[in-house]
Amino acid sequence: MQARDELESKVRERTAELRQANEQLQAEIAERIRAEEIVQKTQVDLAHAARVTTLGELAASIAHEVNQPLMAVVINGDACLEWLARAQPDPQEAREAVGRIIAEGNRAGEIIRRIRALFKNSPLQKAPVRVNELIHDIVALTQRELARNGVSLRIELDAALPAVFGDRVQLQQVILNLVVNAIEAMSGASGQPRELRIRSERDGGGVLVSVGDTGAGLPLGPPERIFDAFFSTKRDGLGMGLSISRTIIEAHRGKLWATNTGDGAVLQLRLPIHQEVV
Amino acid sequence: MAGEEPVVYVVDDDEAARAAIQSLLHSVGLRAETFGAAQEFLASYRPDAPACLVLDVRLPAVSGLDFPRDLAARNAAIPIIFITGHGDIPMSVEAMKAGAFEFLTKPFRGQVLLDAIHKAIESDRAGRHERSKVAELRQRLGTLTPREREVMQFVVSGLLNKQIASELGASERTVKIHRGQVMRKMQAGSLPDLVRMAEKLGVPARKY
Repeated sequence: MQARDELESKVRERTAELRQANEQLQAEIAERIRAEEIVQKTQVDLAHAARVTTLGELAASIAHEVNQPLMAVVINGDACLEWLARAQPDPQEAREAVGRIIAEGNRAGEIIRRIRALFKNSPLQKAPVRVNELIHDIVALTQRELARNGVSLRIELDAALPAVFGDRVQLQQVILNLVVNAIEAMSGASGQPRELRIRSERDGGGVLVSVGDTGAGLPLGPPERIFDAFFSTKRDGLGMGLSISRTIIEAHRGKLWATNTGDGAVLQLRLPIHQEVV
Repeated sequence: MAGEEPVVYVVDDDEAARAAIQSLLHSVGLRAETFGAAQEFLASYRPDAPACLVLDVRLPAVSGLDFPRDLAARNAAIPIIFITGHGDIPMSVEAMKAGAFEFLTKPFRGQVLLDAIHKAIESDRAGRHERSKVAELRQRLGTLTPREREVMQFVVSGLLNKQIASELGASERTVKIHRGQVMRKMQAGSLPDLVRMAEKLGVPARKY
């Protein structure tokens, strides 16, 4: 009888110990999840900050981009009034002017949509993404900047490119970074033709995007260095762009690397193709 | 005069801006020719009618602000109205220095542009009138003999016939004849008239 009591007390003891260990484990897991969330949120915040900085650098270009349709709206409006105020009003011309006002209003709206998409600080949202669409949006946003720096654009996109799986805003940021870097790499060089080369293609089970320039090439030293945080060749650069870009691409199970070409540098990223769930 | 209908040239790389400005100009009965690039304008510009140029400063290939210098190098004295999306002060100063007639920051009202255009065309018309008058005077000057030219320089310096005669070692009577020829050939009604002509032509007064 006594032996049974002893056994029961021991079992109770062990059960209490186990419960305690379990609780501790639970607490630890919760703590780890919280830490991971913080890391992820910090990464998202950092990426957002870098994006805002890059967009800030483009602010003058973007302002011009919005101003352009605005100016067309105002002038078309005045033209419309003039056509109607003539001794012989011309409703056809007036109608055409209004048509252009609507088209330009939509153009301004489209620009705002692209900017807003990049300024958004949203938690990671993974979904199928069409890389060519991202490239088109970035090209539209940076067109002025290209013209301003006398850079011509050569773009070759594979129309049959499959979708990748990822966060649209972050992937767009990577492409924006690469394009802005390429433009800056060329703005210092004089004498040689400035050409931005953007290419998308299928590469086995992945999608390969190349952003090439005809600038001075990669800085001397190991090419990997350019992906280090706080490494910058720009006078007032933070040195975060490529470091964050690589973090983003790696979080998408992809790769980002740089190579020198004969007449400049090329940055390439490879992302796995989105597997449809059957 | 033939070909007096003014022409407004518009150079802007943005197609929508060109269409809008063109419609506005047509609506008030102005003739407009639009171009997407400065080179296209240069290729088709004919300086035989009063004109002005509406130019977007931020053009690709040719920087808008270098363009007036290119034009000046071609002796094309066309008034330029700059339009720009970023009207910062340094840029407007730079534009005025480069010879801008007017500097407008986008977006602007149609009337503001039309006013500037009318003023610019008026200025070009006056400039052309002035230039054609100078050209005519130059032609008259070309009909003078070297001796008559010499006499003209003394006359516009304010010398009397007697003084000119002694300067040239000629008789006062001969100087008088030369002087008469100068007044006739230059079609000058009076001495002040001749002095004004000499000024326009840059004929230097003769120091004695």
